[in-house]
Amino acid sequence: MEKIVVIGTIFIMVSILWSAVNWRFFNPNQAGHSHRYKFRHNHGEGVSIDYYAYASKIKHWNPTFKVSFSMMTLVLCIALDNPYVSMFVIAAMAYITIVKGKLPLREYLRVLAIPITFILLSIVAIIFDFSKVPTGLYDLPIGFGYIFTSNAMLKTGLYLMLKVFAAISALQMMTLSTPSSEIISVLRKAHVPKLVIELMNMIYRYIFILLEVSTKMKNAADSRLGNCDFRTSCSTFGNIGANLLVISMKKANAYYDAMESRCYDGDFIFYEEVKAVDKKLIIKAGVFMVTLIIIWHYTHL
Amino acid sequence: MNFRQKMILTASIAMAFVFGITPVTNAMHIMEGYLPPAFSIAWGAICIPFLAMGYFALKKTIENDRRSITLIAMAGAFIFVVSSLKIPSVTGSCSHMTGTGLGAILLGASSVSILGIIVLIFQAVLLAHGGLTTLGANTFSMAIAGPLVSFGLYKLCTKLKVNKYVSVFLAASFGDLFTYCVTSLQLALAYPSQVGGVQVSAAKFLAVFAPTQLPLAIIEGILSVLVIIGLETYAASELRGIGFLKVGEQ
Repeated sequence: MEKIVVIGTIFIMVSILWSAVNWRFFNPNQAGHSHRYKFRHNHGEGVSIDYYAYASKIKHWNPTFKVSFSMMTLVLCIALDNPYVSMFVIAAMAYITIVKGKLPLREYLRVLAIPITFILLSIVAIIFDFSKVPTGLYDLPIGFGYIFTSNAMLKTGLYLMLKVFAAISALQMMTLSTPSSEIISVLRKAHVPKLVIELMNMIYRYIFILLEVSTKMKNAADSRLGNCDFRTSCSTFGNIGANLLVISMKKANAYYDAMESRCYDGDFIFYEEVKAVDKKLIIKAGVFMVTLIIIWHYTHL
Repeated sequence: MNFRQKMILTASIAMAFVFGITPVTNAMHIMEGYLPPAFSIAWGAICIPFLAMGYFALKKTIENDRRSITLIAMAGAFIFVVSSLKIPSVTGSCSHMTGTGLGAILLGASSVSILGIIVLIFQAVLLAHGGLTTLGANTFSMAIAGPLVSFGLYKLCTKLKVNKYVSVFLAASFGDLFTYCVTSLQLALAYPSQVGGVQVSAAKFLAVFAPTQLPLAIIEGILSVLVIIGLETYAASELRGIGFLKVGEQ
């Protein structure tokens, strides 16, 4: 049974790495265009996760349900800390996002691959250890001592990796199906202070404005050989950063005037769609949680 | 193997570590699900006093001048966008700066804590960097510890009348380095080494992340200085508005 977990983890790792390497070269769903040669490319207007949230087929599910379901799965996943539970969560969340939400598999793998460097580096630190004398199962001499590892350490690293992927897929189930404005409205219902909610709403809107500005600046710099070598690209970056701040401050003043001329008196009120709570979904979610606990009960040591 | 062969092997392993694993280097976000529940909760609890302090500071600023709310929100968006810009690098890898050091120098450390946690939530939700269960740990390392060091160093250097650009460089790069040390310590506390405990484990995490984080800290310092130079050239009046330059100062 343990071998199945190991093989499963390796399979997940390989498929995610493969998609991380390949997604740049052929990606038909990415907004972009091609010139004489058929390589599709874009000029930095990358699709953010929010785009998939609006395109998701499970967008109509109640946002409070989605947020609390994903949070509870996340908490169970790290609290139970069990490889079989993690495998089950990965499979279930992939099913919800890909089959129910109709997200292309390649896009899903690409999103999962984003934290891959951190995962690999931190797993390396966990599965290897230093010692003056050969103590582990496998030892590699490095002059002043040995790098060693053992089956138990490899197992810890592998199970941790599974747990991380399970947690990420639970979080992505939420973010790939719930637009940020709805997540903020759920936070408002959870009584997060009003000032923080207002700031979140404004920052969320301003992020896209500034991203557009910075993309334009970057393209302008690129087309004038602004990134031809390291020195030039450093000074380009400095200028883009400085101008971005100048523009953001000018815009901030303009937006306050715009808000005030539309009767802003210190309260943001946004239109929120009422999305009915589906009782069947809640029952299914309950069954899912109980299944996780049953799996944990029968497999933990 | 004789001593020379051992040395060559050691050097080659080090080279493999330095140049082998640097495809995409994000800032030091601990990702979702990495920390055990006890640590997630503990780091979150440690953040609460700093966040409360930041909240009251922000509230006071906004009560004094309602116009500043859009300015503060823009500053948050600025930190997000700067941290998502690809920075130039020598090895061809793709990396980002943290941006919070610059934010702390420009805006002060207290308001950066609240802006930092909001930016971290959006990074988790919009970019899949970091996560919600590790939000406490990430907030502490990136929105509290790093900016506090940056802000403190910058103030200290100003007191000691060090050249302004040197002090911005020192503040930004040491803030970045401190973030990296705190993150490594957080990881080591959660996963201590079986033989040597937390210390050995911390050394391992520091060593593994060093090849990506050390050059990044220096580049972050240089870029922060360049941004400040650009701002002084184009936006002296705005800098006076947020209190970075005193009135009448060149």
